[in-house]
Amino acid sequence: MEVLNASPGWMTLAWLAPAVCAAAFLAIVAFRRVLPREGAYISVLAIAFGFVLFWLVLVDFLGWDFSERGAFSRAITWLRVDDTRLTWGILIDPLTVVMLGLVTFVALLVQVYSLGYMAHEPRFGWYFAVHSLFAAAMLGLVLADNFLFLYIMWELVGLCSYLLIGFYYERRSAAEAAKKAFITTRIGDVGLLIGIIFLFRETGTFEMSAIFHAAEAGELSKGLLLAAALLIFLGAMGKSAQFPLHVWLPDAMEGPTPVSALIHAATMVVAGVYLVARAYPLFLAAPPALLIVAVIGLVTALLAATMALVMTDLKRVLAYSTVAHLGFMMLALGAGGFTAGIFHLLTHGFSKALVFLGAGSVSHGTGGKTDIREMGGLRHRMPITFLTFSIGALALGGVAPLSGFFSKDEVLQAVLGGRSPVFFIAALVVAFLSGLYMARVWFLVFFGPLKNENAHAHEAPWVMALPLLALAFLGATAGLLAIPWGGSYKGLGSFLYHGQPEVAHFNPALMVASMALALGAFGVGYLVYGRGAISPARLRERFQWLHRLVANKYYMDEVYQWCINRIVLAFSNLLALFDRLVVNDVGVNGTARSVVMSGYKLRLHVTGKLYNYALVMVLGVILVALLWWVAVPRP
Amino acid sequence: MSLLDNHLLTLIVAVPFGGALALIFFPSDRPRAIHYFARAVGLLTLLLSVYTFATYWSKDGGFQFRESYPWLEGLGIGWKVAVDGITVPLILLTGVVLPAGIFMSWNVKHRPKDFFVLLMLLVTGVLGVFVSLDLFFLFFFYELAVLPMYLLIGVWGSSSDFGTFIRTKEYGAMKLVLYLVAGSVLVWVALVAMWVEAGMVSFDLEVLEKASFSPGFQRLFFPLVMVGFGVLAGLWPFHTWSPDGHVAAPTAVSMLHAGVLMKLGAYGILRVGMVLLPQGAQDWMPVLIVFGTINVVYGAISAMGQRDLKYVVGYSSVSHMGYVLMGLATLEPLGVSGAVLQMFSHGIMTALFFALVGVIYDRTHVRDITVLEGLSKRMGVTGAFFVVAGLTSLGLPGLSGFVAEILVFIGTFRTYPLLGVLGVIGAAITAVYILRLMAKVFFGPLGDRWKGLPDAARIETGAMAVLVFFLVLVGLMPWPLLRLIDVDVATLLQRIAGA
Repeated sequence: MEVLNASPGWMTLAWLAPAVCAAAFLAIVAFRRVLPREGAYISVLAIAFGFVLFWLVLVDFLGWDFSERGAFSRAITWLRVDDTRLTWGILIDPLTVVMLGLVTFVALLVQVYSLGYMAHEPRFGWYFAVHSLFAAAMLGLVLADNFLFLYIMWELVGLCSYLLIGFYYERRSAAEAAKKAFITTRIGDVGLLIGIIFLFRETGTFEMSAIFHAAEAGELSKGLLLAAALLIFLGAMGKSAQFPLHVWLPDAMEGPTPVSALIHAATMVVAGVYLVARAYPLFLAAPPALLIVAVIGLVTALLAATMALVMTDLKRVLAYSTVAHLGFMMLALGAGGFTAGIFHLLTHGFSKALVFLGAGSVSHGTGGKTDIREMGGLRHRMPITFLTFSIGALALGGVAPLSGFFSKDEVLQAVLGGRSPVFFIAALVVAFLSGLYMARVWFLVFFGPLKNENAHAHEAPWVMALPLLALAFLGATAGLLAIPWGGSYKGLGSFLYHGQPEVAHFNPALMVASMALALGAFGVGYLVYGRGAISPARLRERFQWLHRLVANKYYMDEVYQWCINRIVLAFSNLLALFDRLVVNDVGVNGTARSVVMSGYKLRLHVTGKLYNYALVMVLGVILVALLWWVAVPRP
Repeated sequence: MSLLDNHLLTLIVAVPFGGALALIFFPSDRPRAIHYFARAVGLLTLLLSVYTFATYWSKDGGFQFRESYPWLEGLGIGWKVAVDGITVPLILLTGVVLPAGIFMSWNVKHRPKDFFVLLMLLVTGVLGVFVSLDLFFLFFFYELAVLPMYLLIGVWGSSSDFGTFIRTKEYGAMKLVLYLVAGSVLVWVALVAMWVEAGMVSFDLEVLEKASFSPGFQRLFFPLVMVGFGVLAGLWPFHTWSPDGHVAAPTAVSMLHAGVLMKLGAYGILRVGMVLLPQGAQDWMPVLIVFGTINVVYGAISAMGQRDLKYVVGYSSVSHMGYVLMGLATLEPLGVSGAVLQMFSHGIMTALFFALVGVIYDRTHVRDITVLEGLSKRMGVTGAFFVVAGLTSLGLPGLSGFVAEILVFIGTFRTYPLLGVLGVIGAAITAVYILRLMAKVFFGPLGDRWKGLPDAARIETGAMAVLVFFLVLVGLMPWPLLRLIDVDVATLLQRIAGA
């Protein structure tokens, strides 16, 4: 058996992918005015290069015996202070490869789509510049071999999200949404930073492999491992919009739709899930942390899925759906389902990006509509959008043989095997709801009578339609990765795993049950929203208080705003006042005034009367004589 | 070139001083000539500081460019100057901020001659402190750097009036000067005490370093140095001169004072306190780091509650100086190196902030953030630069603030983990108030009042762009500066540990 590629070739150059995108960012910012279409093509070329590089890296990686040699890594020193070295480095293992593929592919498609969607925007070039910077940061994040490098890329990804959510910054709602996103994720980032510095303090390094080695060898105390894992998870909660830090993601829909597809569905928000997967050794060494991951994931998924069911803005529905699916991924990871969680990340990435771009196409074709109550019957006017959106919706709902079915099945298997039945039943509820809310928008947008004002709705131009078709293809077929095709490939778990490779085994009963659940959800959806056999309006009437609770997002935003106003801002106003009145007016001015006052009093001793002065002189002489008599030693 | 090298430091101090002297003889009715001459002096200072940096870079570290001329031998006072890896970045900082400030003062129309004379005397003082190895001269220049502030703020400054909250510029000037002089009194007492204790022989830093003071002496006098210099560094609770003073001051003065002068305080703690009184430093550093952490968190929360744009920046300065004090107090290589780097980074950042606020105030005549809204629409460049400054202040990677802060954090976590957590939380609070400020003032729909606003003038954009350039440069490539800083910080800490 010949050993293919004994020494790595393309893997050593993997860093070029983020570097080229970063260079594209700089080039566009500097030369925007003179480049064709303000440099948009440079951005697309850069990410296309990244995509090509992914394939080369993949081929190279397949020739690298991962099970024997572990991950591939390379590093250079960035800073040296005293005896501490901070490095830039890349680490390539199956997880990296999967993420590279997802990020480069979806980013490429979204950028191509944006050439059409954003064509009439005044700040077209800046949009693509930030896209390039985002691609660079996201690729750097998945390639990072040490936590500091990851943290730096993590923050940069957050910056790009901030800039793109606030792209239409003249809108008050967009400016507020961007601020909310940054601040909420910052809260999580505080946890991440503290966690990695604690680890650094104990191990003397930020390098992941060294830290995991120490954790697995039992060199780190249980307390430290638990604290570090929880703090790192806090960071993941912020970026991946887990409860209670989920409130920024729906508002992030203020950004342009392609941004929502790329950053807030397929790539940036999954960074938290990726981080938990990457730091899995820490979580496995601190089981309570893993339980918390599962619980938070589950709670997030349930809450978000219920909210997706009542939202009327198409993008909002998809945003809550994203939050729910992210919770689902966290649940999988928390149940020990490493492969399942990442597999779902992958299929969700394709399908969710697809439906977001589809929503963009609907909006584009109807002159800017986003409210699903104003749509209906659009399948006749936008056949390609309808076809691709259908595939995405059915995949997200988990209908076989689309990709979402296979990944959802693996998640359910993992939860069934890894956690108590409560989790499994709740996961089934989430799966049902995800079918139901997708069915709701599917029927309301594309079926039923075509409204008069939509009579002139038109299909998307080919530059937008092609990415839709490409994503639809993957959304339909990516599930085939789960099947053991033979030879050394025994299902996705034999390639992407933690600890030991897994052989794919299918639980027929579970598969039938989940299929039934998905079909049932679409069936109910058809009855309520398609046929109108059960009237949604009547349902809303009967459960008014419940509907109001959910539609108002469980009043979480109101609670947060109250806390901010009454606690945070009140305290800061109080402290500012304290500084001015107590520290300054009393402390400083007061001291000064007392000096002035004593001066006023003291000057009174200059009476102008000679006999006063004579008295003081005599008293002074007597005092000096006394002192001399007391203090000076006599022989 | 060696003639230049042999007298480089004297020259660096002499240039602004000579500029001030020359300006005195300028006719007062030629404002254009005055402005151009001032800019020339500023640029010459920049050139010399860059030259110093570049030449020092090629040497091995430690004290370089020594010059020594005896003066009052009986008292042990002489003109002794040198710079090491800690001082050189600070000189570069001064060289960058000075011309930026001078160019930002392009529209000072009232008595520009006097304005620039005082400004240059200020800078003479600053540079003198940095290069002096003789404690007498160090103190002399320290005072020289404070006194012109009274006139600069009192004559060319601006008052704040929010109805219930009135702060006149006279009040700001008086408070700043008196407070800083009070701090320097404490320093002077400590300096004289050290001189006496070492035998009244010499004020030379290196000589005094070898005189080992008793632990009791050090424990008694280090707090005098710490608080005395700390006042200028904005140490809580002796910081209230800073917001009022900087807000009342004209733009260039705020840029120089918050940007460079406040660093003199931290530098004093490092160069005088930690080197000459190492045992005292070790005993008192826990106190310093606690107060430094209070600076960070208290300053950030106070900044959040401010209504005046300039006050937000003022309290932000107090907060970020906290990182410098925290870093110094860790007595740990990463922490102290981070503190010195933060001196540089924060200096540039705060100068940029005050410059931006100056531009906004100049165009809108308003500093009330409840009234300003959506300014980016008309003032795109100003808005973009403000975003860069804001992101630096919240420690975004890629900008200089992050490198400095992460080093300080790692150093703090290694020594006082709980305070490290508070420090990181302080960075999060910074994000909150900065982002709130940007969202309110720059983004959103343009307020009706501001429909016809002009953006920053070209000269202002140029000056601010240089500052932005340094923030990004040091953020992406910190190692040239860090290399210089690290070597001498390590030497310094070894000496402290050995004591």
